[in-house]
Amino acid sequence: MELAKDEYASHTAYDELLDRALKPRPAAQPLFDYLNSLNQDELDKRRQAVDATIMAMGITFTVYSEAGNIDRVWPFDPIPRVMGRKEWESIQAGLKQRLKALNLFINDLYNEQRIIKDGVFPADVLEGSGNFRPQCVGITPRFGVWAHICGTDLVRDKDGTVYVLEDNLRVPSGVSYMLENRQIMKRIFPEVFRTTSILPVDDYPTQLYQMLASLSPREGEQPVIAVLTPGIYNSAYFEHSYLAQQMGAFLVEGSDMMVSADDIVYMKTITGLQRVDVIYRRIDDAFLDPEVFNPDSALGVPGLMRAWRKGNVGIANAPGAGVADDKVVYAFVPQIIKYYLNEEPILANVPSYLCMYEDQREYVLANLDKLVVKPANESGGYGMLIGPRATQEERDQFAELIRANPRNYMAQPTLEISTAPTLVDGKLAPRHLDLRPFVLQSDQLYATTGGLTRVAMRKGSLVVNSSQGGGSKDTWIVEDAA
Amino acid sequence: MMLARVAENLYWMARNLERAENTARLINSTTYVLLDLPHGATFGWKNLAEIAGLDDLFAKTYPEANEESIMRFLIEDEANPSSIFACVKYARENTRTLREVLPAEMWERINSLYLYVRQNAQAACKSRRERYIILNEIIQQRHAIVGLFSGTMPHDDGYQLIKLGRNIERADMTTRILDLHSAISFPDDSVVREALVERIWMSTLESLSAYQTYRRLVSMHVRSKDGVRFLLQDMRFPRSVSHCLSEMEACFRLMPKSQQLQQLTALLRLKIAQHDTSKLDSVALHEYIDVLQMQLGEIHDALLQNYFHAWQDGVLPSGQAQGEIEFAQQ
Repeated sequence: MELAKDEYASHTAYDELLDRALKPRPAAQPLFDYLNSLNQDELDKRRQAVDATIMAMGITFTVYSEAGNIDRVWPFDPIPRVMGRKEWESIQAGLKQRLKALNLFINDLYNEQRIIKDGVFPADVLEGSGNFRPQCVGITPRFGVWAHICGTDLVRDKDGTVYVLEDNLRVPSGVSYMLENRQIMKRIFPEVFRTTSILPVDDYPTQLYQMLASLSPREGEQPVIAVLTPGIYNSAYFEHSYLAQQMGAFLVEGSDMMVSADDIVYMKTITGLQRVDVIYRRIDDAFLDPEVFNPDSALGVPGLMRAWRKGNVGIANAPGAGVADDKVVYAFVPQIIKYYLNEEPILANVPSYLCMYEDQREYVLANLDKLVVKPANESGGYGMLIGPRATQEERDQFAELIRANPRNYMAQPTLEISTAPTLVDGKLAPRHLDLRPFVLQSDQLYATTGGLTRVAMRKGSLVVNSSQGGGSKDTWIVEDAA
Repeated sequence: MMLARVAENLYWMARNLERAENTARLINSTTYVLLDLPHGATFGWKNLAEIAGLDDLFAKTYPEANEESIMRFLIEDEANPSSIFACVKYARENTRTLREVLPAEMWERINSLYLYVRQNAQAACKSRRERYIILNEIIQQRHAIVGLFSGTMPHDDGYQLIKLGRNIERADMTTRILDLHSAISFPDDSVVREALVERIWMSTLESLSAYQTYRRLVSMHVRSKDGVRFLLQDMRFPRSVSHCLSEMEACFRLMPKSQQLQQLTALLRLKIAQHDTSKLDSVALHEYIDVLQMQLGEIHDALLQNYFHAWQDGVLPSGQAQGEIEFAQQ
């Protein structure tokens, strides 16, 4: 197994598996010992086996613009990303701390708004939020939890610090790829699982099921749990189907359900109406209930909000949870953690400039060539500007957008996000990556062991989103050497 | 407990797969018949579209009914919802929404059947020799899928719906293949005619994989009235209309709230058993087949209404006042 030496020679980012001298880091040593035991021919065979396995397992995602060809295979890189258990446990604690605080924050915003009254969080940020739902005011869902499932994007900068890039609290996806990636690795490299102590990831569906079951309004009875999907043309349909199958839950579309006059949610089965206790919804708030939100939505269920407000059905994530999934709110998370938990944040936030404040806006406009500018309410990497890589014309256009709607934009310094060796043309070349662990909260907190590592397969690219040419890797949390 | 939408997709998936196989069989049997036609006998290509109940649709796109246009229409034309390609494509679309309730290999199997048809449909339209090979391959792949269903799927309501879809479609197609005989205009010479009728019957039975069974169970010679009776009434032959109906009865017996459907199916089977098939000349047979197809359609409609469409538009089913909704059994 050979390193792409020319690429690593000019390499300045932190590499997850190799130190500055290009020696394997301790956690990655057993992996390299194993890889070095394979000759090129053997490696090529494994590489081909990966492709065949992915095809056979039918692991796919969908690209919006390709209506005619709705299944695409997501590129998978067979070289895992490895992290020691000790470091991971500290990150895990930080993830749980963060979600716990965010849930207290969301519940506060929809109720007393103490954080605003105490002057810690500005009222005008809330007023400008596209994801605040007035229809949810006054509600406290069970356990006070709104965001039951959070996908937190982490990156590591040049100096080795791990930063939270964003908190995805609406309908985060990707966990099925995390699970499937491990299955692929077990099929292709079974030997390495014997020599390295890799912590398992496959308890996620059970944890997800238990979390959802805890939201059931009919305690003591076997809950009926449904995964609500927009349907087969959604890019994450494979995941919706996969999770329903793994949990033994029903995969439903909006038209499969109805709400009765006494505000109970039913699904239409061949034998009659069956009460639904918990809905794991994978559609956005705006489409959930045409009675309350977008009246043209055919994806949702009329009356769902009535049933939820009465406590007759659990919905994960709760409608309105997205208020904290906002890149301007993001900038306040360290203060939010201190305010509610009286603790120091374990995980670092990327320094952020909010365009709504004049001084920060002027700084951003003057330094567009150095910054990454993000719209507040977009996800999936859409609508952002990577200043250093943009043309002057693009930067000028963005400056106009910012001046027109400053609340909607925030900027961060361009991080040199870390890389890991990735198989490119038979050699190991550095490719940038991030990590999306998934965190669950109801009466308990849970975080996945590792998460989904997304990798920008193109040389030098920083964009890891599946919709924009990214791929993924298995993520190993390994026991540290004694 | 099964979602009505999921149940409906299972039912249509099964019907689509069966229809694809049956269309393949219908075409193979036609090709056999053609090989046997002497000079003086003619085959009306248009009648083939008519038998499939698609003559209007055919006439819309094709100016002339000949072997090539009919084959394109029945094998590869996506605009014809009963063409082999369209059926397999729909079955694949159905399956895509069913991954969480079907055995994991099912998607792969149906997907590869789809890819095979897509790749070979054109060749099957053009050459008779290739057509026979390709259509047989389609039939065989379909058999593997049926085997996977029965061997790996839980035999629950979903499984019964798959069987129902398969059998109602099969019964329908058996009547259509039977109707093929009325599409042939025979020569006047009575000796030639009699020999010809027998040969055509042999081909028909062959296309249903029934010739050997027929010879063993009925007789070495195939006479019209015996053939008709065999395909309509013989309970031992798995593609006879009566057999399909009895399979459906058995499925309904295992399904919830199915009393009316059981009765409807049993009644039709009884009526067929009591029908004197020896009196059916080709005109009367054609008319009788029309009636049978209508009655199968009634069972289909009742099934749709009973299991899939009872709750359409969020309206509570009749007889259930709001607030006193019965819980389905888990």
